[in-house]
Amino acid sequence: MITAELIIPILAATVQSGTPILYATLGEMLTERSGVLNLGVEGMMIFGAFGAFLFTYFTGNPWVGLFMAGIFAGVLGLLHGLVCQVFQGNQVVSGLALTILGVGLADFLGTPYVGVATTGFTPFEFPVLSSIPVIGGIFFKHDALVYLSYTLPLIFWFFMNRTRWGLAMAAAGEHPAACSAAGLNPVLMRWAGVFFGGFLVGLGGAYLSLAYTHLWTNNMTGGRGWIAVALVIFAFWRPGRAVFGAYLFGGIMAFQMRLQALGATLPSSLLLMLPYALTIIVLLFSSARGKGRAAPAALGVNIEPGE
Amino acid sequence: MSERDIINNRTNRNAFVHLPPLVRLEHICKVFGKVRANNDITLDIRPGMIKALLGENGAGKSTLMSILSGRFMQTSGTIYVDGTATRFDSPRDAINAGIGMVYQHFMLVESMTVAQNVLLGQEKGFIISPKAMEAEVTKLAERYGLPIDPSARVSELSMGEKQRVEILKLLYRDSRVLILDEPTAVLTPTETEQLFEAMWRMADQGKSIVFISHKLKEVLAVADEIAILRRGEIVDEFHESDVPNETVLANRMVGRDVVLAIEAEPVKPGSVVLDIANLSGDGMESLSLTLRKGEVIAIAGVAGNGQKELVEVVCGLRKPVSGRVEILGLDWNKFYPRPPRKGKSLAYIPEDRQGLATCKYLDLVDNFLLTTRHSFTSGPFLNRKEAAETTVKIIDEFNVQPGHIEGTARSLSGGNLQKLVIGREFFRQPDIIVAENPTQGLDISATEEVWQRLLEARNRAGILLITSELNEALQLADYIAVMYRGRFMDVFHKSDAAKVESIGLMMAGVTAA
Amino acid sequence: MLGFRIAKRQEPLQWGSFFIFFAALALSLGISCLLLAIQGKPFMRALLLLWEGAFAHGYSLEDTALKSIPIFLCSLGVAVCFRMQVWNIGAEGQYALGAVGATWAVLTFPDAPAWALMPLMFAAAAALGAAWAAIPAFLRLKFELNEIISTLMFNYIGMLLLEYYVYGDWKDPASFGFPMTVMFPDTAIIGSMFGRIHWGAAVCAVVAVMLSVFLKRTRLGFELMAGGENPRAARYARMPYNFLVMLVMVLCGALAGWAGLIETSATLNRLQPNVMVGYGYTAIVVAWLARLRITSIAVFSILLAGLRVGVENLQLELQVPAAFAGIMQGLLLITVLAGQFFNWYEIKRVSGMEGEVDTPGNSGNAGNAGNASNTGNTGDARNAVNGGQE
Repeated sequence: MITAELIIPILAATVQSGTPILYATLGEMLTERSGVLNLGVEGMMIFGAFGAFLFTYFTGNPWVGLFMAGIFAGVLGLLHGLVCQVFQGNQVVSGLALTILGVGLADFLGTPYVGVATTGFTPFEFPVLSSIPVIGGIFFKHDALVYLSYTLPLIFWFFMNRTRWGLAMAAAGEHPAACSAAGLNPVLMRWAGVFFGGFLVGLGGAYLSLAYTHLWTNNMTGGRGWIAVALVIFAFWRPGRAVFGAYLFGGIMAFQMRLQALGATLPSSLLLMLPYALTIIVLLFSSARGKGRAAPAALGVNIEPGE
Repeated sequence: MSERDIINNRTNRNAFVHLPPLVRLEHICKVFGKVRANNDITLDIRPGMIKALLGENGAGKSTLMSILSGRFMQTSGTIYVDGTATRFDSPRDAINAGIGMVYQHFMLVESMTVAQNVLLGQEKGFIISPKAMEAEVTKLAERYGLPIDPSARVSELSMGEKQRVEILKLLYRDSRVLILDEPTAVLTPTETEQLFEAMWRMADQGKSIVFISHKLKEVLAVADEIAILRRGEIVDEFHESDVPNETVLANRMVGRDVVLAIEAEPVKPGSVVLDIANLSGDGMESLSLTLRKGEVIAIAGVAGNGQKELVEVVCGLRKPVSGRVEILGLDWNKFYPRPPRKGKSLAYIPEDRQGLATCKYLDLVDNFLLTTRHSFTSGPFLNRKEAAETTVKIIDEFNVQPGHIEGTARSLSGGNLQKLVIGREFFRQPDIIVAENPTQGLDISATEEVWQRLLEARNRAGILLITSELNEALQLADYIAVMYRGRFMDVFHKSDAAKVESIGLMMAGVTAA
Repeated sequence: MLGFRIAKRQEPLQWGSFFIFFAALALSLGISCLLLAIQGKPFMRALLLLWEGAFAHGYSLEDTALKSIPIFLCSLGVAVCFRMQVWNIGAEGQYALGAVGATWAVLTFPDAPAWALMPLMFAAAAALGAAWAAIPAFLRLKFELNEIISTLMFNYIGMLLLEYYVYGDWKDPASFGFPMTVMFPDTAIIGSMFGRIHWGAAVCAVVAVMLSVFLKRTRLGFELMAGGENPRAARYARMPYNFLVMLVMVLCGALAGWAGLIETSATLNRLQPNVMVGYGYTAIVVAWLARLRITSIAVFSILLAGLRVGVENLQLELQVPAAFAGIMQGLLLITVLAGQFFNWYEIKRVSGMEGEVDTPGNSGNAGNAGNASNTGNTGDARNAVNGGQE
């Protein structure tokens, strides 16, 4: 029997579960719009999660942790930028290396803290809005990071379409030569793309260690970073569909956990496969709709020196 | 070019004559290695005047304008802007000085709108409003007579419209000197007229326009001043009022050099190697032609009129939508996708030597094997040793320099790479050769060599030559088919003098009256 | 203007690989030492232990050699894929499926004699590994589905599949709940060749020779090498591009599957989740370092195997977390990528008045093997000829 009492908590859990994915997806989207393919999202996310944990643990202030998560991940993004923009490294391989590095770093540095708890973001009821029937229960009884994430897609859209820097960044991702010819600096735009994109990814990681849970453990991200990479394609590089995709996966993961908790007869291993299998299915649907046309034209192609 | 004359409606034609030149190029020289592309050129560019730079391919026009637009640095000489000696370190410097160039390859972001492209990098303020941007672009477009929809996505525009966007970009940046490099190459006759109208309006408002061309009729119609370049030097300068007729102009352009000509002995035509009847689809309309062994059929026309699609069909890279295509007696579906190995073969020499015909970073043997690999195969195995020996022989025979086979294809110059490709394709003893702009970018001696080879090949094959160089078509072909918008305007033997005369018209889509 | 500029070389340097590797190794070790210092570990001693563990004693050399076997096989497969610009990062999952396949054979025919069981295990491992790679290949060819994401997802799914069986139907009832299968019978265990080196090493040698012959001497091998270099030219030359994509994936899947089989059979003698140690990812590092030169792959496999063994030593002696290996590998790949810049570019001094240099092959961008296809710049709008030019 499906009653409101049953659905609302599940949907609320969906929002919670989807939030880190949303941050990561929008972050990678920003990077890719500027023309850089950064497959290191998984590594950046978990490294950011660790940074968040570490700084919150030592300062007691989760906002500091949040900020540092962004910085940690952003620095990894800059590293990727360095390898690709300065050293003309292959963007695909560099991203993979970044994942291996990021995951390793987080694991390594986090070893002394496994299982250790910390303060973090706690849910609170959003004034006024949380009293709305149904909607209030689903969307407005979460922590600050979730509320922040609601504004992100709008800010993203506004930045890319209504500000000159957003347009410049998009030009760097579509046609760096035209960007140069117009007097802008596409290389600089891409630096901004990898850093700020990485920053957002880090925030997503922070959510995992500061809000979703309040501790540090290994393998916190569980492949969410990769799902984010896939979602950018699914979203046709536009923020609107990213929201849908993030919550879809959030829902699957929440659903998965519930089933496990209820002691479902399906073995946990098979359940755990769901998000990964779904990623492929979701991408199949996008490719049928001509994702190739929506990708930034210069994505993945380095700007050669002297161009 | 339409037969009817373009009437010059300029009102202010000589309004600015008394003003000093905006830009002066003095004693400009440019040397590339051993080649002297520009030699002691002095030129004035005056406001309100349209100056045409006439010259054949390789005369040095593009190089000179690249220097003026800041893309290259001159080897010696000075550029004066408003009387002051200036140095351009980059195109941005030139733009800041008010000089802008519209290149043949447009620098437009396809997925953005016209307004976004025009204002890119020039937006005022942090927040931009599409409506405001579009209004500004509309205002600018109206002022200069360049009708365009500012909210349209660039990817949806025609070539002529895209060119207008490029011009608007320059105008928005208050360019005072606009350089147009072969602007009508990609335009239809109507668009060409519209461009000229726009050029006059811009000139009327004090802009200087320099336009590079080798089309005499256009130059005579639109320019106020004409400068002729030949072999890197300015040989003549005329004002429109004292310009002689076309014939004199043509002679001055070409000088005492004989237009590259070649003796083509007649060859008896053999069996039919390619038969196309009513090929349609993908932009092509009812194309029909029959190619025999020993013949050369040239498909002449401005690039982008369906030649690429035709070539792709003939070479098996595109399935014909409707119509009959028979290659060496076999229907298209039987010949492709697995062409018969022994005996009957088709060789394709593409326009894109570097990107399609060869692999840049592979050595010459590997590149040779690219299309000849089946000749060196026994069972699953490939006999590289034999291939290497053959490659050496071919390189020698076709005079490919430098001749060491371990070098990569990248190290070969255009002409040598083309010779390698030709050597390779001829080795296969093809019955049909499809050659796409085979001498593009080659110097005179390489061009001659390639032409010789193609003519020799007639003994064994029929040749389908796709070219936008009229001279090439006239020199090599037995039959000429003029292609326009996917149709053959006409197919005729080269001895038909009247039709040969009107090739230019046909290329522009005008049927004989 | 700056006093120097960066110019693309006419021909990429050939010998740069090893030099770059060692420079990169040095840099990576340096940074890693920094990290060790942060954790309060004595880094000088760590470096020593790393060396000792990997190469110093006979025992270490054997350890290293043993670890290099699965890495070598996976790397061969991945390198072949990379050559075709098929970004197969699913070697890990294909390895898992190989292990599953081999185990299936053992558990289904536990009493079969060795001469029947062994080949069956090899066949099953190859088949499952190949199938696991063929699916993403198919998805790429038919639906243009990005193979990076599909193979990665298949890694996760593959590992979970392995866990599913080991925690479920295949669990040894006598194992007290620990996820592992029964011990394999002797007939299913790959025996030793000499000392601790098992016959897996022979498999490596045979595969290496066959692959080498295939690449250098056969027509398909040539098509693979050339077609991977330039897919557009491959199409022009009528090469069976789609077939080649499928072929390299299937080949990689089979080889990675054999690696999984070998580890399960020879090293663990049973199937457990900890057969998954990340060889598939290490293979990516090796493949990128070595390109498709088989001797280089062998050397780098040994070096990276040594790294792993050395790190194990570090774990033992200094309680350094296992993740250290991941850091080293990631750093190594990044530094190598950066170092390879010098293979392609050189830094030249420039005087004021230089402009564009018109040298052969300078036209157009030679983009790196990047993810996006390089649109070659083809002919300019040709100069249409004036009508009636006299």
